[in-house]
Order: sequence, then C-alpha cells, then structure tokens
Amino acid sequence: MDTAPTITTQGLTRRFGEMLAVDGIDLHVAPGQFFGFLGPNGAGKSTTIKMLTGLLAPSSGRIEILGLDLNANPVEVKRQIGVVPEGMALFGRLTGAEFLSFAGRMYGLDRETAAKRGAELLDFMQLADQPKKLVTDYSHGMQKKLAMAAAVIHGPKVLFLDEPFEGVDAIAAGTLKSMLQGMIARGATIFLTSHVLEIVERLCSHLAIIHRGKLVAQGSLEELRAGVEAQTPAGEDSGVSGEKLTLEQIFLRVVGGERKTEELSWLG
Amino acid sequence: MNPTLNYRGQLAAVADLRWRMFVNGLRSKRAKAELVSRVIVTIAFTVAGLGVFIAATGFSWYLVSQGKADLLPLLLWPVFFFWQVFPVMSTAFTSNPDSSDLLRFPLTYRSYFLIRLAYGFCDPASGLGTVGLFGIFLGVSFARPTLLPWALLVLGIFALFNLILQQTVFAWLERWLAQRRTREIMGVLFILFMLSFQLIGPMMGRMGRKPRPELVQTVRIISRVQAVFPPGLAADAVARTSEGQFVGGVSSLLFLAALTIAVGCLLHVRLRAQFRGENLSESGARPAVAQKQSLQLGWKLPGGSQVVAAVFEKEVRYLARSGPMLLTLFMPMFMLVIFRLNPANPMRGRSNFISGTPELAFPSAAAYAMLVLTNLVYNSFGGDGGGIQFFYASPARFRQIVMGKNLIHAGILLVNTTFAWVAIALLWAPPPLALTFATLAALLFAAPLNFTAGNLLSIYTPRKRDFATFGRQNVSQTTVLASLGTQLVIVGVGFAVFLVARLYKSLWLATLLFLVLAAITIPIYILVLRRIDGIALQRQETLVAELCRA
Repeated sequence: MDTAPTITTQGLTRRFGEMLAVDGIDLHVAPGQFFGFLGPNGAGKSTTIKMLTGLLAPSSGRIEILGLDLNANPVEVKRQIGVVPEGMALFGRLTGAEFLSFAGRMYGLDRETAAKRGAELLDFMQLADQPKKLVTDYSHGMQKKLAMAAAVIHGPKVLFLDEPFEGVDAIAAGTLKSMLQGMIARGATIFLTSHVLEIVERLCSHLAIIHRGKLVAQGSLEELRAGVEAQTPAGEDSGVSGEKLTLEQIFLRVVGGERKTEELSWLG
Repeated sequence: MNPTLNYRGQLAAVADLRWRMFVNGLRSKRAKAELVSRVIVTIAFTVAGLGVFIAATGFSWYLVSQGKADLLPLLLWPVFFFWQVFPVMSTAFTSNPDSSDLLRFPLTYRSYFLIRLAYGFCDPASGLGTVGLFGIFLGVSFARPTLLPWALLVLGIFALFNLILQQTVFAWLERWLAQRRTREIMGVLFILFMLSFQLIGPMMGRMGRKPRPELVQTVRIISRVQAVFPPGLAADAVARTSEGQFVGGVSSLLFLAALTIAVGCLLHVRLRAQFRGENLSESGARPAVAQKQSLQLGWKLPGGSQVVAAVFEKEVRYLARSGPMLLTLFMPMFMLVIFRLNPANPMRGRSNFISGTPELAFPSAAAYAMLVLTNLVYNSFGGDGGGIQFFYASPARFRQIVMGKNLIHAGILLVNTTFAWVAIALLWAPPPLALTFATLAALLFAAPLNFTAGNLLSIYTPRKRDFATFGRQNVSQTTVLASLGTQLVIVGVGFAVFLVARLYKSLWLATLLFLVLAAITIPIYILVLRRIDGIALQRQETLVAELCRA
C-alpha cells in the first residue's frame, strides 16, 4: 500500500493584516485516513481548509496534495479533490439535478455521466422527490446534502469537508456518515473539521488539533490520548476513575478549556 | 427571580438599539461615505420640507380665504401619494431592519404595535407629510380662525390614517417579500408599475386631443370619485364645515375615521400574525406524492467546451427564473412601443425624436439594448453569490467561466437587436440596409469593449446581487462610474464615426470605420480574457468575501 502522504503542509501560514490566523503548521495525512481537524472557534480550521483546497492563498508555506504542489498544479489538484466549504458554494437558482449536472461537467464529466451520477446521488441523499424545487428553497440540511453530493460527483480521491454535520438532522447525518465510510473503504482520504466531537471520535482514525493558529497535537486518537495522559501530573486522575479519556476530555486538556462553574451563580 | 416588565424601558431600549446600530454602522469607510450622502439627503429633505410647508400654508390660506375650499383635495392628494408611495419606492426593495426580530423578547402586543408605528413616524416621508399637513392646518386656521379645532381634528385623523396605511402597506409587503416566489412577483409588479408611468405621456397626448367638453366631463367624474377616498374625505370635511354644512362635514370625518379603523384592523391582522410567530419558511413539508424526474442531460454548445456549455446553461436558467431581470433586459422593445404610441409631445406641440426621425430608431434601440445589458455584464458574478467558491474550488479555468457568461450576454444582445429590427419594421418601416449594417458593426465594436470592461469590473468591484430584487444595490458605485465612462467613450466614438459618414454622405463608411474599430476592441477582449485567470486568482479573497456575504 502507498504510504506517501496524501496531504502534506510545510510551514503553512496565513496572515490577515496584523492577525496571524494560521501559524506555520505542518500536517501529514496518509492515504485512506479519515482525518479530523479540530480546534476552538477562531482557531484557524476554516482558513486551513480553504488554503488546502485552493480557496485561499497562503501567506507562506507549501501544500502538497496527492504528491502535487498545489501552487504549481492548482487545476490538476482540484480535479482530484472534492470540497464542501464553509458557505457550501451552491447556486441557489438551479434545481438539485441541474446543480449536480452543472457540477459534474465543471469537473470534466461528460453530459451523460454527470446527469446519471447526479440522479443517483439525489436518490441516495433522499433529495429526488422534489425535482422542481430550487436549491435556494431547500432547508439547511438539504443544502448540506446537496453540497456533499456535488463534492463527490466526480469521484474525488481526497474529500475536504468544513463542518459537514452542522445543522443536519440525525437521519441526514446517518446518510452522510454511511457515504463517507463507504468512500474510506474504497481508499479515499477524508479531511474534515467539526465541532461535534462525538462524531469525530466515532468516524476519524487520525486527528489534529489547532489552537490560536498553531498545531498543538497530531496523530491517532490513541496517540493523542497517550500524549495527554503522559502530561498529566502524577497523582492526578487523567480520566474518569480509570476509564479511557474521551475525545472531548483530550480536546479540552490540549486547548486548555476551563469551565468556571462557580460563576453566574444567579442562573437557574 | 424574573424582573417585572417595564414597557417604557423596552421602548427606550429599542430606541437605543437603533442608535447603537447607526453608530456601529459608521465604523467602515464605506459607511462614513454613506453618512455624508445621508447628511446631504437630510439637508435636501429639510429644504424640501420648508418649501412644502410654505407652499401648503400659502395655498391652503388662499383657497379657504377665497371661498374655494372645495379645491383642498389638490393639496391633500399629493401629501397622501408622497406619504404612501415614496417609502415603498425608496426602501421596500432594499433590506430593512426587521422589527419582528424583537419578538424573541417579552414584548406585549401593544408595545410591538407602538414600535411599528414609531418606526413609521421616523420615516422621512412621514416627516414631510406631517410638515405638509401642518402647513395646511396653519393656512386654513389663518384664513378662518374658527376652523382651527375642526381642522386640527380632521387633519390629525388624516395624518393617523396615512401613518397606519403606510405601516399596513409595509407589513403586507414584508409578508409578500418574505418568500422568493412572491418576492419575484412583487418585483415584476414594481417594474410594471414604474413602466406604467411611461404610458402617462401617451394618455395625456390623447386627452389633449379630445374636445374640451369631454375633458371637463372626465375631470368631473374624477372629482366625484376622489371624494370617497381619504384625501377627498378630509378635504370635504374641512370644506363643508367652512361653508356651514356641518352634517356633511361630520359625516365625511366619520367616514374617514371608519376607514382609519378599517386599515388599522388590516395592520392588526398582519402584526398579530407576526406576534404569534408566523412561519414564512420556504422549505415546506414534502409533498405526499413524490415526483420523479426523468434523466435530463445538460446542454451542448457546438464548438464550445463542456465548462463553457455548463456555465452558459446555468446563466440561461438563472435569467429565466428572474422576472425582474428579464423585464429589464427586454425594456428596449417596450420603449419602442412607447415611442410609437406617443408620436407627438402635446406639451410642446412637436413629435418625439424617434417619430420625427424614424431612421434613428434602430441605432437608438440597439444602443439602449447594449445599455441595459451593462446591468448584467458589469457585475456578472453578482448573481452567483456563494457559488463563486464553487468556481474557485473546481478545476475549471476562469476564462472558460467568463466566456460562458459573455456568450449569454452576446446572445441577449443579438436577440434584443433582432427583435428591435423586426419591431421597427412593423411599427415604422424596415431600417435601411446601410443603417442596419452600420448599427451591427457599431455593436461589434461596442460589445467587446463593454465585455472587457465588464469582466474586469465584475472581478475588481463585485457586488452580491439578488436576482429577485430590482434596485440600485445591484452594482457598486465604482462600477457605475466606470460603466458611465465606458459608455461615454463608446457614444463619443460612435458619434464621431456617424459624423464622418455624414460628411462623406455614406453610411457604408460608418460600417467600415466601426469594423476597423472592432478589429481593435476584439483583440483587446481576447487579451484580457487570456489574463482573467491570473486576475481572478489575485482578486480571489475580495470576490469571495463580497459575494459570500450573508
């Protein structure tokens, strides 16, 4: 099996004026990994994913996707990846079928294949029963599913998802998860950001945590857990009475999230 | 413990909110520039208000003191129209702060109703309307001091009627504008309403040609009909009382009060529904019977790439689903009909320029077709909104995307020009062959120039466009100025070419000159198109940030 990284970044940096949004991060994502990219609000997750997909130019640093330098080969890289960005990137005044057919052709599929795959995806995503409805009239969850369908219509080798489960109901989330797991089983690599740590814990084999623009942890869940436990001072319980640390606990330890429960005493 | 509700505190909090929104909105340079324009507008309104006040006072004083109080409708109808129509035209099709956002807080219905009326009272139209009515009140009172309390009561109720009606219209407009379909229908109706003003000229022309007794009869009918509407009722209540017909005056006032209550009920129905938390969501429940659609293949363009064809198809579908935009694009046809209907200007006793010189009809219609198209060409990514990210994420080249868009622009121009030629042939006479070719050659010169400027400005100064609305917010000020400059250059060059052709008495010379100019503008267009990928990449952040804005 090819173990050369699917996604590699070296010193990836992005500044917005004085603010350093992403500060020299080095990422390594191996082929076939379901990679979760976590961080608190404003940590730099969306900025990173935008840079990895060519939606935002880095201030400095290097990005390689599938062994290709993104800066030198943007079109070739884009041909092989799929993206669901933060704003979903939909064309509101098309129907779902029209949008998928359009998306397929923009990724180089012929008319027949684009239309056929579009119909299959609409069926799979349970969006096929209102063919005349415009995308702008879809609910948020339906739009998320459609954005996902558009991102995979060309069969990408790498899929980038920015908060794919945000605002999606349990049924739709189940549909999306089964599709993503199917892609992983067929050898694709998935890079996702999410605030829903339970889902990330269940789906992702590897993780990275970004905090204030810097990469503060990277590895498999077990590696992160071991790292946190190793940093726990002697005599202090690292987990809940001997149980394994959950991803939420690991995350909070890594980013230093403290809860001041003694405050706001007037509540309740 | 929950604090007790303090209604005055809530109203003060809303006033403070509006103030904070205004102050915080001044943080950007753009907002500061807008403040300057607001100050200028405020000064203009103040001057206008002063003028309205003086005119209303003087005219009403004259009418009542001369025993011509029955002509008071001439003052009250303009006030009514201004109060009701101005706010709709100036703000209904732009974004307004939504007072229903306040409903998450524990407001009583009464507070909510009052806040809505207070919003209305702060409107410039209400301010000017009130100033006008106050002027009428003073004029009537000066002329007949005994009428002071009666005029105060009548005009006060009339002002209340206007305020409530204005808010009722807004509340119902909000209801209709809340959903895409009804919003589009409203947009089309709005444009038709504006266009209908163009028909006033031809109608006046026909009226002017009618014999005088018929005209007098028409005025009498209008006078009788207007008397049962609020401005007529208010005027009637004052006029009859001034003539000693107290019963008639009181009955007119009662009728006006009844109408005010009726309109108030309509407002109540709307606000009550909002207060109870009506849901205007467009993502309704799924239909019981699922519809299935057969596989539909995308379009194919002969000689065009897959990407160009896909973008072309997408643009056509967007346009086909945009009533207001379509209407705007096909305006040249409508204008030709207007010119045909209005062969002579009754006020000046001479014909309009196209009826006077029909040979100008085709070049004028083609130039107008080009002009209305700039609305689309100069902000061609505006309608894509968040979809711009898709363009950047896809492996397609921007030059192909832009070419797909320019193809539809050229198609619209071609269709419009063809229709214009046919319409002119039917309405007047077929344009001469030399003129037809000269005009087409002029388009061949002007279109690439406009497309080049439009493509660059679409990337450099984009503005998110809502296809369902019709208004000035669709392009940036920079684009407007640059577009104006380009049109001035084109018109100047075109004028010079036609002047030379006239000098040599040959329109074929104009065709030749325009073709030579087109041989310059077409390569410029191609050159810029080739560089558009780099420019789009360079301007990526601005474009995405502007178009993905909520």
